[in-house]
Amino acid sequence: MTKIVIFGYSKTGREIAKLLSDDEYDLQIIDENLLSVGKANEDGFYARHSSFSEDKMLEEIGIGKDIDVLFCTSTNDSLNLFVTLSARNLDKNLKILTLIYKNNDEKKMILAGANRTISPYDVGALKAYRIIDKPKVSKVLSLFSLQSNKLSMNEIVVPKGSILDGVYYKDISIFKEFDLIFLGMLDKELGDEFIFFSEGINHKIDHHDILIVLGSKSNIKKFKTHIGAL
Amino acid sequence: MLAKLIVSFAYFLDSSKKYKEVKGFAYDLLENPKSKIKPYFDAFIIFLVLITVSILIYDIAHQISYHFEIVENTAVFIFILEWLGRFWIHDDLRHLIIQYHEKQIELSQKPKAKAILKIIILQKMKYMFSPMSIIDLLAILPTYRPLRILRIFLIFRLLKIFRYTKSLNTFFKVLSDKKFEFNFLFIIAIFAVFMSATIMYVFEGVGNNPNIGSYLDAIYWSIITISTVGYGDITPVTLTGKIVTLFLVGGGFMILVLATSVVTNALSDKMEIVRENKLLSQANKLSNLIVVFGFGRMGMALAHELYENGKNFIVVDKNEENTTKAKELGYLYMKADASEYEMINNLVFQNDVEKVVITTDNDALNLSILLTIKAERKDIEVLVRANNDENIKKFKIANADFVIFPYETIAEVAVEYIGNAVKFDAIENLILKKSNITLDEINILEGSDMVGKSISQIGLKHMSITTIAVLKNGSSRNFIFNPDNDNYKFEPNDSVVVIGDKKNIGEIKKSISRQFT
Repeated sequence: MTKIVIFGYSKTGREIAKLLSDDEYDLQIIDENLLSVGKANEDGFYARHSSFSEDKMLEEIGIGKDIDVLFCTSTNDSLNLFVTLSARNLDKNLKILTLIYKNNDEKKMILAGANRTISPYDVGALKAYRIIDKPKVSKVLSLFSLQSNKLSMNEIVVPKGSILDGVYYKDISIFKEFDLIFLGMLDKELGDEFIFFSEGINHKIDHHDILIVLGSKSNIKKFKTHIGAL
Repeated sequence: MLAKLIVSFAYFLDSSKKYKEVKGFAYDLLENPKSKIKPYFDAFIIFLVLITVSILIYDIAHQISYHFEIVENTAVFIFILEWLGRFWIHDDLRHLIIQYHEKQIELSQKPKAKAILKIIILQKMKYMFSPMSIIDLLAILPTYRPLRILRIFLIFRLLKIFRYTKSLNTFFKVLSDKKFEFNFLFIIAIFAVFMSATIMYVFEGVGNNPNIGSYLDAIYWSIITISTVGYGDITPVTLTGKIVTLFLVGGGFMILVLATSVVTNALSDKMEIVRENKLLSQANKLSNLIVVFGFGRMGMALAHELYENGKNFIVVDKNEENTTKAKELGYLYMKADASEYEMINNLVFQNDVEKVVITTDNDALNLSILLTIKAERKDIEVLVRANNDENIKKFKIANADFVIFPYETIAEVAVEYIGNAVKFDAIENLILKKSNITLDEINILEGSDMVGKSISQIGLKHMSITTIAVLKNGSSRNFIFNPDNDNYKFEPNDSVVVIGDKKNIGEIKKSISRQFT
């Protein structure tokens, strides 16, 4: 079970919590504001009050021990920064995703140890822009959204000895057979850069590489079984 | 009998499409500040004024050839036509007459010729005695040669130019806002002039000073001194006169300083508004305008995208700090309160607005803007930001075309990060970051030679462009996911959603549009 901590029951924190409410996740919500804690409890989540101002408090809820993911979603950039830094200090492998409200805070957050940063305003603006400029792309993307559930984007780790191990991806028609679209892959040998299929390079797939495919959920499941990833 | 005739004529005009068209054209030409032809017409009239004034000035000392007279007469003829045109379009008499007639019917009385004529005369008199109409009329007079004195009215022809220069009008309007201050200064100045002139006349007027022969001389001296011009043709000779002069010079200086500061103040107060009017008129000339309400952080990020992609847009915010930022970035902006109908009317309804994006962090305000727009113009596409998930429904009820709840989008992206960091990267690269690989749409237009061809045939596969889906008639209800590269043949009005290199997609799009040139 993935253990997740959400720091800051902001609007974003709340939406994340709603999406993670199934049983697969062990969710803890922390907020420095008692009112937000109350609101989270009202919404049916288990929430605690803490400012995370001391490492002891972080350790208490399991950071450095068994927490896998930390979302810093408070509305205050400097608070997010502080918690990110403290958590990174306790756990090198923790996945930390932090919200940034000011554009120039991105570098700071990465330096402090956040794996990824997201700016709520940029996301909203880009979404609005896409609707204006490319309405059809927006329509297709909405098919992939968690709510509509029609299509799914999935990542698949190539297992050792699989039929895909050691082949060049332009040479195979296996994706077509399962009505899937091969979007790209991450090659562990080449580092952390994601390679899009559309970049036009023909690349060899090895085991432990991660493929990203688009398709219906059932087809993806069939495909996974076929290549031995399930 | 006469009354009946006029009323039926009014009805006849009201039903005539041609009449309305002609009148509409005259309005566009002469008065409509938003029409496209008016600026040309204005420039033409200003040109005529300058030409004829030059001719008339030349004529004072020289004998002019008949060519110039033809020009002068033509110009005056045009001036007369222009005045008559304005006289005509000043009001819609037919509406008033019909209104009167309807009222009489209600009262079951017959229309009276006297009453109708009164309406007509009152309306037209109103125009004739308006300052601009008088200036126009006086501008025509100097042509009448037998009365050379009328040449003085030449000056009015120059005044005519004011009508066509908006900035001068605004300047006078700005000054008229400071009426109280100017009146005050004027009264003080008059008081100072008369007092000093009287003292001067009493002490130096009777023989002491040969230059002051009359009270008028004293006034003349006083005005020349108070205005700090000081020709020196009349100077005080007595001690009293000199003391009065000292005070007058000091006072004159004060009055000038005050007057200058009043003008500067008035201008700096109004300059912002003047500038905004100018921006608004700039927006007026743009087509397919996108209006962005709220220049907060989301508005700013959106404006940046729009700017980078060369879209026509204007941002609206009532916060001074935000509009200053927009100004610095070189965007078209308007500092205004979007909760006022008048503002939305001026900006959205009067312009060629295609889309509206409402991005403020206040849902009540967003709803009010949305409803104001949708109540009048359903065809304008409105995107609205919801700040609270409970309000998404309300915006949809209020007919918003799209509701953007940024927090949900972020959450969806963020959640991907838990187990699927690679997928997150792919999504982030495609959706949030700027990379060469992009999601785009290609529209297969009717009549394009792409129709009937397969994905491989139009070169998508060759360029490594991945086809995600084909939307039939652009609707997501009827779509084909992952169409076959060889078997699927494009039909007219297909929209193809693809992932690929920006440059490659651009080339495909160009090859479609080139066909239609």
